Amino acid sequence: MTSAPPVTSRLSWARLPRLVTWTVLTAIVLGPLYWITISAFKDREEILRTTPTLIPTHPTLDNFRQLFTATDYPSYLTNSFVIALSTAFCTVLVSFAAAYGLYRLRIPGGNKLAGAILVAYMIPGTLLLVPLYQAFAAVELIDTRNALVIVNVAFTAPFCTWLLRGFFFAIPRDIDEAAAVDGAGPVRMMLRIVLPLLAPGISTVAVYAFVFSWTEFVFASQLIVSDQLKTLPIGLSAIMGQYTVNWGLLMAGTVCTVIPAIVPFLFAGRYFVGGLTAGAVK
Amino acid sequence: MSSRNAVPGTGEVLPGTRAAGRPATAARRRRPWHTHLLGYGLVAPLVLLMLGVIGYPLLNTVLLSLQDQGVVGSSSNFVGLDNYTEAFGDGAFWAAIGRSGIWLAGNLLVQTLIAFGTALLIGRSGRWARASRTWVLIPWVIPTVAVAVIWQWLSNSNYGIVPKLAAAVGIDGLGSPFGDSALAMPALILMNSWHWFPLGAVVIFGALRTIPGEIYEAARVDGADAWRIFWRITFPLLQPVLFALGLVGSLWSFNIVDSIYLVTKGGPADATTTAPIFIYNKAFNQFQASDAAAVSVITIILLAAVAFFYIRVAKPKEDS
Repeated sequence: MTSAPPVTSRLSWARLPRLVTWTVLTAIVLGPLYWITISAFKDREEILRTTPTLIPTHPTLDNFRQLFTATDYPSYLTNSFVIALSTAFCTVLVSFAAAYGLYRLRIPGGNKLAGAILVAYMIPGTLLLVPLYQAFAAVELIDTRNALVIVNVAFTAPFCTWLLRGFFFAIPRDIDEAAAVDGAGPVRMMLRIVLPLLAPGISTVAVYAFVFSWTEFVFASQLIVSDQLKTLPIGLSAIMGQYTVNWGLLMAGTVCTVIPAIVPFLFAGRYFVGGLTAGAVK
Repeated sequence: MSSRNAVPGTGEVLPGTRAAGRPATAARRRRPWHTHLLGYGLVAPLVLLMLGVIGYPLLNTVLLSLQDQGVVGSSSNFVGLDNYTEAFGDGAFWAAIGRSGIWLAGNLLVQTLIAFGTALLIGRSGRWARASRTWVLIPWVIPTVAVAVIWQWLSNSNYGIVPKLAAAVGIDGLGSPFGDSALAMPALILMNSWHWFPLGAVVIFGALRTIPGEIYEAARVDGADAWRIFWRITFPLLQPVLFALGLVGSLWSFNIVDSIYLVTKGGPADATTTAPIFIYNKAFNQFQASDAAAVSVITIILLAAVAFFYIRVAKPKEDS
């Protein structure tokens, strides 16, 4: 695996199986995305044509125009952004603090606590929907963005704390010694020395929390009632039910829902993969 | 915060910093408890949040299951174990548990196989392999609702590309599988696997990279073929990660509501009503909150049993 294969790219029969595998993988992963994207640019006649076209013959922006002018899509978009950014921010705060306490300060009982947190996190959220709804109703949080942020953070922070573990272990402890000799207090050490070194971990956690919140459906469907507070997944599923025949509009809505999830991920993707593998392995 | 000459004990209130470098735990044990205040304070928000959003509702699920509440949040009386007896006698519940089993096994099997293949592929050297480590994760970040729309569009019986491609290779009259009670479950498993396999692929890929190359070199020198190397070296060394992935993946898969609900709503004819869908419908469509709670508790106990089984039976030996 680590021994470098010959770099020369001679096209030989031996390479064929691998080439086929790559093609299949690429088609499976990116093919569906390509298909919905071009569908979003097709007009109503072309999208329903019996012989599908690989490239729109008359590319049009009508679907997008209709999406942003004739539906509540802009307000769904705003809600999703507000909730996802708040979730990402709070998750970073909560999980960095917890990971610092558990994996850096090494509080007594920290290992057991970390284990308990991970086990509690494994309890299926769906099964808690009914009592959670009641609890939120009791404190008048139903139909607020805050309710979703609280739930999202509660479900992302445990996993993110665990993700940060690998990043904490990668920072040498000698740094602490040196900083202590220089007279840095514990809080300053945490914020001025460890936090900057943990930037890749922080961005991994932020992206995870953002994506989780952006895609969350079950809680958003029950805890939000009013139309103007709905998030994108709920809005999109409403468009799906409401305009079953208007596939072009639905495709445009899907493309616009997918892009904000993919873009931050492509920027932080490298850290992200590193974070997931580090958290999983160490 | 504190300058060099501040509180005399400054060094002491840097929990972990001094003791950590030392191999002996004695130094850590000797320090008074209040030096860990900062540490506990930092962990507290997470613990409180989890107690509020996971712990308290869990306790309430148990209490609710002993009552007779209908619409979520309405008034109710204590009825003891009635809801449980009812749930145990409900054939629809056991059928849902059975479907959850199929859903779980199908997802684990399909996802692990694709994830393994992908991990081996993206683990190679070369520019394409390196770049793909990022884009291969894309399906995972796509919102479930978008995944649902995408696959419904692709498999639409009138306009979808999948039936057309199928017709092109000679399979005619393929309708949308999601509307067919025999095909809906396998189709959903494939759709969900498309959504989730990238996560497994990246985790397995990370684990593959931790295996030292020398081991492979040595095996190759000894004349082992690729197949032997995989079963004798790669697979055993990956076991801890596969174990974790299997445990976490099982619980995650089991828990999925949105993928199923968005595409089939548990239909056609209950063919895709897994346990969480059953609970969701009971609570929010049939307005039987207490029954839903009782079924939830039974389900959590079953899940705990599965997790326990995993840990006792499937746990890799070297970890104990």
